[in-house]
Amino acid sequence: MPPKKIEPKKPEPKKPEPKKDAAPAAKPAPLPEPLPEPPKEPDFDPKSVAIEFSTDQIEEFKEAFTLFDRTPTGEMKITYAQCGDVMRALGQNPTNADVLKVLGKPRPEDMSIKMLDFETFLPMLQHISRAKDQGNFEDFVEGLRVFDKEGNGTIMGAELRHVLATLGERMTEDEVDRLMAGQEDANGCINYTSFVKHILSG
Amino acid sequence: MGCGVSKSNQFHKHSRKAIRAAVLIQRWYRQYVARTEMRRRYTWHIFQSIEYSGEQAQIKLYNFLGYLMDNFTPSSTERNLISHIFRENDVCWDSEWERYFCYKNIEVPEVYSGPHLTFPLTVEQAVGLLEAFRNKKQQLHSRYVLELLLETWKLLRMLPNINRISTCHSKEITICGDLHGQLEDLLLIFYKNGTPSLEKPYVFNGDFVDRGKDSIEILLILFSFMLVYPCDVYLNRGNHEDHIINLRYGFTKEVLTKYKIHGKRILKLLQKIFSWLPLATIIDQKVLVLHGGISDTTDLSVLTKVNRHNDFSTRIKANMENELENSKRREVILAAALNRSQQDILSVSTDSVSSDNVKDEWRQINTDTDCRAETKSVNLKQNIRSAQLFVDAKLQTEECSMLWAGLGMIGKGKTQPARAFAVHVQCVARGPFVALEIPDHKSRILDLLWSDPMNQDGCMPNEVRGGGCYWGPDVTEDFLNRHNMQLIIRSHECKQEGYEFCHNRKVLTLFSASNYYDVGSNRGAYVKLGPDLVPYMVQYQASSMTRELTARQSVGRTERSALKVLREQLFAHKSDLLCAFKKFDTKNTGLVSLIDWASAVESVMHLNLPWRMLRCQLVTCKMSDGMIDYYDWFNELAIKGPNTDHIDQSLLETLYRHRSTLETIFRIVDTDNSGFISMEDFRQTWKLLSVYLKMEITDEDISTLAETIDSNHDGSIDIDEFMEAFRLTDK
Repeated sequence: MPPKKIEPKKPEPKKPEPKKDAAPAAKPAPLPEPLPEPPKEPDFDPKSVAIEFSTDQIEEFKEAFTLFDRTPTGEMKITYAQCGDVMRALGQNPTNADVLKVLGKPRPEDMSIKMLDFETFLPMLQHISRAKDQGNFEDFVEGLRVFDKEGNGTIMGAELRHVLATLGERMTEDEVDRLMAGQEDANGCINYTSFVKHILSG
Repeated sequence: MGCGVSKSNQFHKHSRKAIRAAVLIQRWYRQYVARTEMRRRYTWHIFQSIEYSGEQAQIKLYNFLGYLMDNFTPSSTERNLISHIFRENDVCWDSEWERYFCYKNIEVPEVYSGPHLTFPLTVEQAVGLLEAFRNKKQQLHSRYVLELLLETWKLLRMLPNINRISTCHSKEITICGDLHGQLEDLLLIFYKNGTPSLEKPYVFNGDFVDRGKDSIEILLILFSFMLVYPCDVYLNRGNHEDHIINLRYGFTKEVLTKYKIHGKRILKLLQKIFSWLPLATIIDQKVLVLHGGISDTTDLSVLTKVNRHNDFSTRIKANMENELENSKRREVILAAALNRSQQDILSVSTDSVSSDNVKDEWRQINTDTDCRAETKSVNLKQNIRSAQLFVDAKLQTEECSMLWAGLGMIGKGKTQPARAFAVHVQCVARGPFVALEIPDHKSRILDLLWSDPMNQDGCMPNEVRGGGCYWGPDVTEDFLNRHNMQLIIRSHECKQEGYEFCHNRKVLTLFSASNYYDVGSNRGAYVKLGPDLVPYMVQYQASSMTRELTARQSVGRTERSALKVLREQLFAHKSDLLCAFKKFDTKNTGLVSLIDWASAVESVMHLNLPWRMLRCQLVTCKMSDGMIDYYDWFNELAIKGPNTDHIDQSLLETLYRHRSTLETIFRIVDTDNSGFISMEDFRQTWKLLSVYLKMEITDEDISTLAETIDSNHDGSIDIDEFMEAFRLTDK
């Protein structure tokens, strides 16, 4: 267990907008309930992470790392910006926030400049791999059901696009287009159960 | 208030759910993108490794044949065959070729509906040709092909080694990279950018042929525009503008198939044309355009003066003769030593697998202090020793051990191996590119056509391809300064975006064959250069099918192709893999661990691929606690063996693995390009091949093989039929 550091509570990175809407009255809005992440989290300390991967797994990670290594001399280093991608390529599913955390919350301008080598990367990967919150079929469907205005199993494609581009860890228009390619029917509706099946099968 | 609160709470909860769902989906999407990118990268890796190892095999073969040619005694039948081959491919005498290439007696039948060409060519005719190929998919009649090629040849002969052009009058010059027989891409370029004209000059940077199916059409279009606009269309030679490479990579076959009667003549004429293609183009004295690249010894003023059209094999021969002169002295000494150990050499080379073994044996043989006391010189032992050290040091390369094996198996006379060996030692000292390391222009031309840039400083031989070198940013810097230039534009390597800069943006790689490895694998690009000499890139991707595929689908497709090719390669190396596995599986359980599986596979295949990542795609049979049953795995490789059960398995495997080389050799042997070779030539070819592949092959084996193929027993073998018999098919 990483030692608990006493820190002032950090402002949550994603202040949900609806919260503002939810408190139009003079009555002071209740403190925003925390998002799925636990409120007080100590900084990530790579040294405290025990590596539990097998040698074979580590070799495989090295291969992936090498595939993404774009240094001119093949130094086995990737940029901070690539870290999330390499983890995802290896089957992990961190949010961008998770990734930033293990990277030690770097400044945005450092992301494409600072590099990390494999030894530094490995404990980060180990930590991410322990995350429980992977999300299953039901979670996805439940979430999308929120937008099912008529309760008939479909949602408006346009609404989903809007959600994906404005909420959570926003996607770009391009990314949304690619994700939703071929999913909407003639009326612009999506059967979200099929949609979730589709994305989980990728 | 209650309502407001509950509503807002409800909404709030829903929003939280919505956010949570959004985050989940976004997370999932990002993972999907990362995984797709990873698959794309290793798929690319697979294709590229296999492509380059094919080229490497080709150059090795080329070297070996050239070497063999010069080391047989006149009486040996093998020599007759090979010198016959190379002589045939030599430059024909003037009077002969005039008669040979004469097209005037070729009649064009009434029924021919394709374009009719008259010379001098007009732009309408060039455009008409383009349209005929594009729309009506017609073939130009061989009479016109020959006439067109002859005119092209006449023009090319007058061109310098290095063309110099300028962007004066605000002309933008368009430069295109490799096309590799992909007519669709050329048509797309002309559609987007316009056909060549006085206002629209073009430079085509080599590799017009091979691999794609319309190489001859591309050549005809390029040549016709060049004839119409000789000052505005420039062609650089690529490494595929070479008749021996064409034998392996499909151009020869294409021409012979499309032009059954006159194909041979067309090919011979093309051979001459290729050798006359200029080597490079310089724009405004500042930008160098050439197919491969440079080396640290490239000097344009020297290159301007060489005779670019000299035939390769003549040059090798001339050099070898020089070498033989110089080595006579050494030869005498070594001959004596070798006389005794020839028998030993013979047994060693057939058994040995690695050069280390050979080295050890040779050391063993020669550390006997009482060796050949009867040999004359007191300094003999010393000389042998120094020669031996020479060889030792160089026996690292597979090439040399191959030659070594060759020495052991060929040449029956006493002096023959000695002579060959002497030359061998001389050549060996030069490094892996034995036949190519000759102190004249040929090696420099090879650099221009085969080199690749690398990221590290320096310059070293390009072992992956087998020709040219790898050159670093310091070499670029030095070269550009020396020649007072600012940019090198080259091709030769496929790039996913169709182009790529390197060396501080001083080197631009340009590739114009889109979907090169498979549908969706890459875009093509061309470059426009105006008087400001700032490159402006245009990308494209031919084939409407690609636009419809989603990213996932196109990666998936290409990946499947790559894996299929990889599986075939693995299957072809089954024996070696089995050996490698057995080394790890000392207890003979039939199982190996994952780690060992990956190491074994890499040690055999030498493709430098991420095997562990690929494992789940390549090994689908069940594994018990992380161990792979390798026999099961071989069965699973899902490829049906060839339908020749009565032939020895290991022979078959070798055949399959080297089938490309085999086909190339056959086509070389088939000097009149008829598509058939005689039984006798077939036998001789096998002898050659067995040396090259270091395998024992008895006359009986050869007869069995021949019988399989020559089903009508008329004493000749149809090459295509033969190759078909050894094509593996999916289960």
